[in-house]
Amino acid sequence: MSFSIEIINIASFLGAGLGVGIASVSAGIGEGYTAGHATSGIMEQPKAEDQLLRNMLVSQAVTETGAIFALVVALLLIFGGFANGAGGWYRTAALLAAGLAVGLGSVGPGFGSGYTGGQAMKAVARMPKHSNSITASMLIGQALAQTDAIFALVVSLLLLYSTPNQPAGVEVGRIVIKSISFLGAGLAIGFGTFGPGIAIGYVSGRANEMIGRFPDQRSILTRTMFLGSAVSESTAIYSLVIAFLLMFSV
Amino acid sequence: MQGMEFVAKAAALLGSGICMGIGALGPGLGEGFVAGKACEGIARSPENANLITRTMLVGQAVSESTGIYSLVIALLLIFST
Repeated sequence: MSFSIEIINIASFLGAGLGVGIASVSAGIGEGYTAGHATSGIMEQPKAEDQLLRNMLVSQAVTETGAIFALVVALLLIFGGFANGAGGWYRTAALLAAGLAVGLGSVGPGFGSGYTGGQAMKAVARMPKHSNSITASMLIGQALAQTDAIFALVVSLLLLYSTPNQPAGVEVGRIVIKSISFLGAGLAIGFGTFGPGIAIGYVSGRANEMIGRFPDQRSILTRTMFLGSAVSESTAIYSLVIAFLLMFSV
Repeated sequence: MQGMEFVAKAAALLGSGICMGIGALGPGLGEGFVAGKACEGIARSPENANLITRTMLVGQAVSESTGIYSLVIALLLIFST
């Protein structure tokens, strides 16, 4: 197959654009959800304005994480100096897959963290004096949801920096197999973190709302939240395993 | 391997990634929903916490099964095609 540097450029620009674009969807919706609940909380409970505003900003900052990961990967894709002929088709596929992995992988965690934040705002508006303990459990829940975005970032960085260049004189079939398996790795971790990210956010959101309603049950709710999140995380870990196998053992 | 066999192997690898990726969507969402509702239930009736936790884990184990099917198929696609 003939090869020119422009093909690598096309792949990295496509990957960068798609990655940031897809990742921003959920970060935007999640932050808007949090802000919406903060606003209606202030309407119901104007005295809690300070706590609500502070919690809203903290929550939005955490929800933004996935989009920031995608931005970093996009900047690396554009300015990382991959556009030399040495990489060949292997590098082309890996660059596209890196962008897709971090973009798709940030969708679930973005929705999840936003939901957690929104439910925490409801809880703070109901019980402003428990604001600190609600913030703590909100942050724990959002951190759990963001682990999926971190899985996607890890796979994306490995695709960028740990995948081999195309060796000289390798046969066409081998090129096809290896390039497609990089794409498969990106899609596996990208779609695979979708469900767990949203799910962990849902679990922590419900736990936060209930902590706001029944603050005495905090410890048992936190325990159930951890247990439920850990089990929900399992499918993301399967996807991570498949992505590693596709990257390194094909 | 030659000709179409390479294409078939490449398709199997892409299929493996898509299979595990999309296959993880449903179980993940389902298990999270179970755990969210369990939190709600425990908050409302803490005296039944053990029963609810048990039911939650059983429900999640059943939801997990399709995730494990996807994992098995993805591994088969990688290693035995």
